[in-house]
Amino acid sequence: MNKILIVEDEEALCLLYQEELTDEGYEVTTVRDAEGALDLLRRGHFDLIVTDIRMPGRDGVELITQIVGLRKDIPIVINTAYQSYKDDFMTWAADAYVVKSSSLTELKVRIKDLMTR
Amino acid sequence: MIEPHAFLAPDFQSREPKELTLLSIVSQSFFQPFSVEDNLLVILTALTSGSGVGFNRAMLFLTEGDRLRGEMWLGPRSAEEARTIWEILSTPGIGYIEIIEHNRSLLSLEADSLSRRIRPLEFSLAGDNLTVPVTALAKNEILLVRDASREPLIDPRFLQAIDVEEFLCVPLLSQNEVLGEIVLDNAFSRQPIQPKDIKLAGLCGLLAANYISTATLHRKMVEMERLAALGEMSMFIAHQIRNPLAAIGGFTDQLLAAPADESKRRRNLEIIRREIQRLENIIFELTHFLKVDPKTPAPFDPGPAIRAVLMAVELKAASEGRELVSRIEDRLPPILGDPTYFGEALRNLIVNAFEASPPGGRVEVMAERKDAAWVVVSVRDEGRGIPPEVRSKLFTPFVSTKDRGMGLGLLYAKRVMDACGGTIELESEAGRGSTFRLFFRAGEEGRTDP
Repeated sequence: MNKILIVEDEEALCLLYQEELTDEGYEVTTVRDAEGALDLLRRGHFDLIVTDIRMPGRDGVELITQIVGLRKDIPIVINTAYQSYKDDFMTWAADAYVVKSSSLTELKVRIKDLMTR
Repeated sequence: MIEPHAFLAPDFQSREPKELTLLSIVSQSFFQPFSVEDNLLVILTALTSGSGVGFNRAMLFLTEGDRLRGEMWLGPRSAEEARTIWEILSTPGIGYIEIIEHNRSLLSLEADSLSRRIRPLEFSLAGDNLTVPVTALAKNEILLVRDASREPLIDPRFLQAIDVEEFLCVPLLSQNEVLGEIVLDNAFSRQPIQPKDIKLAGLCGLLAANYISTATLHRKMVEMERLAALGEMSMFIAHQIRNPLAAIGGFTDQLLAAPADESKRRRNLEIIRREIQRLENIIFELTHFLKVDPKTPAPFDPGPAIRAVLMAVELKAASEGRELVSRIEDRLPPILGDPTYFGEALRNLIVNAFEASPPGGRVEVMAERKDAAWVVVSVRDEGRGIPPEVRSKLFTPFVSTKDRGMGLGLLYAKRVMDACGGTIELESEAGRGSTFRLFFRAGEEGRTDP
């Protein structure tokens, strides 16, 4: 079973992603900040990371830079409420960019594409 | 010896050369708090005043895209009115301010004004067969037209409107940008246009072009700043709204997609309700904190106002496990402000302090007289402190150190303090908390800087 790490500071969204992606057949772990994500990545194996950008403490852009340093091969999906980070070249290392909306369809499609690549 | 000298030539009757007087009056008016229209009127006044250049009438056309449109036409409407105006304006002691006032009233007679007659006039700046008045712009030359009715290269609608045989077209250009044109005539005196008049009209044209170009750039700059602020605001609001919407949408879809047990159904509905409440709070903060309209500052007793706020937040302090301590000096003088806005600003600072403090942390509210002129109300927390790079942006909208903050509470407090003639200060040290100090003017006594 493919393992996904969700980095998201919103409690309700963590719960939603956990349930929805588990239903899609993934093994999902959620974490609320970048520090926690890096800790999990050092200790365990994940097949894909979904990360928010604006989070307390270290933000998602910084996290992506660190992940690339740790594990170059791991696909990263940015899942953010901000459209504008798309123009930030620091986010170009990610494999997909999804703007949060009231539907999870796009996020699910992007994850599936990357998992079957 | 040090001698003061005025910048401004006081009137058109100056003994200085006319070029210098015109230059001085027109340039100085650009530094007055006049509107763009008023400043253009000053230029037309300089061209038509008997003691200025002395034309009878001046038309102003401005460009809009690839069109030249009639904007303003200054001058008397008839020979009789011209005589009356000349009599008034030749009265000794009349300065250019009075002449401009008079001309402004002339322009405001909208029903039968000359301006009303030229506003429908519009000419294309593009094409091969250009006619006067556009020709002057195309050639970038001042054109003197005589025997106009016999000249085929004049637009017939323009000729019908101006209805004179001799007139002068002065193009307004700046760095090859076509801005407009001034057309001058002596419809009532019938005086031929002299070379010295053409020279002075050219000088006024250069000044007008320079002014229009600067005013246009300034307007564009203000608009760009406004749009940038609007863009930043809309981006921030979009972010604030998308998170709750994603939760509402996702949990609603779960309910729609499959039958859920009662506990999951209830949990989803509670999350949806909470996120809707969050959206409502965003709307409240946007509409409430961005609107500060306090009454004229009036003296009020700060003690009871502070105690009322403390009572209102005591319960919150207890429920969130924060210690609230207050020390309000006895016999504080009245302070100047609006008690309602004061209370709201102080409440914001205290709630911020609760949120910044760790569990069990202490928040201190103090009020004391600083000196005869100032009273200080301060709120201190035991939080992480505010980093230097955030401090400089703290009172701008949508900057927040909180995970879910809109960044409007401190802006609100600052606007309240500005409105009552007070100030707000921050002292913060990493790991040792922050103190916000509100400086209020005491009563109606004299003031010193805090």
